[in-house]
Amino acid sequence: MNTSSNLHRSGLILDRRRFLGLSALGISAAALSACGGGPSTSGGGGASAVEQIDFSGVKPAKEVTFWTSNPGDSIKVSTEIVNAFNASQSDITVKLVTAGADYEEIAQKFQTAQTGGDLPDIINLSDVWWFRYKMNDQIIPLDSLFEALEFDTDDYVDSLLGDYLYDDAHWAVPWARSTPLFYYNKDHWKKAGLSDQGPQSWEEFDEWKTKLAATSGAKFAFQFPALAGYAGWTLQNNLWGWGGGWSKEESFDITCNSAEAVEALSFLKDWVYKDKVAGVAGVDQIQDFAAGVASATVGSTGDLINAITSAKFDVGVAPLPAGPAESERICPTGGSGVGIPKDISPERQLAAGTFIKFLTEPEQAIKFSEATGYVPIRKSADPAAILEKTPQAQVAIDQLPNTRSQDYARVFLPGGDLEMANHMASILTENKDVQAEMDSLKTALEKIYTDQVKPHI
Amino acid sequence: MTAVTTKRPRQALSGRRLREWLIFLAFVAPNVALIVVFTYRPLLQNIYYSTLNWTLGSKFATPVGLGNYRDFFTSGEAREVLTTTAIFTVATVGLTLALGLGVALALNRKLPGAGFAQATVFAPYILSGYGVGLAWLYIFDPNIGALSAILRDVGLNSPEWINSPRWTLTMVIIVYVWKNLGYAAVIYLAGLQAVPGDVLEAADLDGAGPVRRFFTVTLPLLSPTTFFLLVTTILNSLQAFDLLIAMDKLGRGARTLIFDAYLTGFKEQSQAGYSAMLSTVLFAILVVITLIQLIVVERRVHYR
Repeated sequence: MNTSSNLHRSGLILDRRRFLGLSALGISAAALSACGGGPSTSGGGGASAVEQIDFSGVKPAKEVTFWTSNPGDSIKVSTEIVNAFNASQSDITVKLVTAGADYEEIAQKFQTAQTGGDLPDIINLSDVWWFRYKMNDQIIPLDSLFEALEFDTDDYVDSLLGDYLYDDAHWAVPWARSTPLFYYNKDHWKKAGLSDQGPQSWEEFDEWKTKLAATSGAKFAFQFPALAGYAGWTLQNNLWGWGGGWSKEESFDITCNSAEAVEALSFLKDWVYKDKVAGVAGVDQIQDFAAGVASATVGSTGDLINAITSAKFDVGVAPLPAGPAESERICPTGGSGVGIPKDISPERQLAAGTFIKFLTEPEQAIKFSEATGYVPIRKSADPAAILEKTPQAQVAIDQLPNTRSQDYARVFLPGGDLEMANHMASILTENKDVQAEMDSLKTALEKIYTDQVKPHI
Repeated sequence: MTAVTTKRPRQALSGRRLREWLIFLAFVAPNVALIVVFTYRPLLQNIYYSTLNWTLGSKFATPVGLGNYRDFFTSGEAREVLTTTAIFTVATVGLTLALGLGVALALNRKLPGAGFAQATVFAPYILSGYGVGLAWLYIFDPNIGALSAILRDVGLNSPEWINSPRWTLTMVIIVYVWKNLGYAAVIYLAGLQAVPGDVLEAADLDGAGPVRRFFTVTLPLLSPTTFFLLVTTILNSLQAFDLLIAMDKLGRGARTLIFDAYLTGFKEQSQAGYSAMLSTVLFAILVVITLIQLIVVERRVHYR
């Protein structure tokens, strides 16, 4: 009994030791397991001249894959458009793949695919990601493709196509493009005795907010967008309104800690901590707004249909208000476009281009806008169908001529947007000092520029 | 071969031993090959990547030696991240074990519906962490969440679970413990059922009350189970990830070491080299913890 139990005992200990030791090593090794292929440490890395691909004599591939994150809940309309393309001709079949729940997830998948996975042929790329792909030599310039496939480039809204111009080449085609909008609850407006329109300026809203807070019964008169969801995007409107910006216009000169920027952000912070009439959304401000948590908020045009259908009250939509330094209201453009990976064959690139041409033709552009609320990207697209169904979309269309391309610090600095979100979170949710936070943001953004962008441009 | 035989006759392989050796090799080789290719090769590769300044997806990288390690340990990031990791690990492991044992004691009775109760307690453990995280995020949402509605009904304000880093960490710990409690409970339950009735009976005859019996008999006899759970839950906690990414998108509250590795490598600035360094640091910590557990803690474990 003793002997056998001793044997059993020692066996148990040994097995346990081995099991635990090996599983610890195994699990931690698995945690370490990175992707397959690795980088080269010799040469490369610097700026290289743009090379347009020659598509003469190239035959399009038979099947291509389109990766999208379905911005604005667009899976249904995108599937319809893909099916329509597949039915319209017999040479190319497009396969639609949901490759992430948002722009970050699809970017992550695309980055990982570069090191060994299967690359898509058409990729949905957001405003803050395409430049990173361009710097890393992961997408192709599309101009020779425009020529080969006779894209009517003059018909794309100039500012939207122009957003993808760098080094005299276009790196994407606009698709799910948006501007931020001012959303308001018409019932709350009525209760506060306000006329059915958005404020002309942020200062005007400053006067309205107390009235709204007193009469609406809502938790907040104004709710800031969830910080994890592109806070750096909508706040550009406030910074520009006060004469500031994350960086100087069309420059990498970081100006987020200027007196103007600090004043603009302090103005907003006061709503939260001094007047106590504003707050920050946890998950999604449009969801909160539709649930009646706030009387007003700022969201993308891509949220329009979602807001209208999920709210139980009349949703009012207005252009973003102006600031004291502006004579007219100016807002940023945003959203995403579609591009083509570099490391696939010219045959696949050509087939991808053929689909992109179809995807962004006026007919499809209108269909897509109608389903999502994103702005029509083609000049010749007739918005009548959209307006009949959603009259509020007129605001987004009218706002288009008053847009400005985003600050380089947000869209061209990898991770710049998240740095902005983190620092804004400190200001708006932890009551940290605006100047100190913006000084620290400037240091962080300048480091990203020096380390990651400067060597590549 | 002859030379070997003459020099070391005792170690010469007889035909039978050679055959055994080959059979052994045939059995282990596929496994060893798989482990080498899919576990140890990436591990070594990762250590190599940790010495590079490499943007994920880029075809080129610059060797920086130990630069990434220096940056991490001298920038204050190490203190912050390691503190969060320690708080998260200690809290989740402690609570999972304590509550798991409590639940196991409650379930260790012959009551109708005990099987159903066990299955219910265990169920969250097998759910997807990301899905659990998203669902709980809507419960915790201070503006539209179910919890905030309950708190409002009793006249309390909801904490800023999502936007305040400290509350975010608390929220993630609560949900993590909820999700993993069932695992500890089921293992403890098996342990409790293996506690021999005769020993408990003897203690009872010696006049020990239920509390004394628990602390002097049951708990020491459960020590192998506790040790096993300690090792596995620490390893799991240090690698908890899916729940964190779902509940703390910016990584402001629950930025543990592995989450930091994900955020820096795949999200923020796609710094794959830096991220590989963080994974290597995590690996070293895991090895050290496992060794400490095996050498020190096991001495205190009572095996029957």
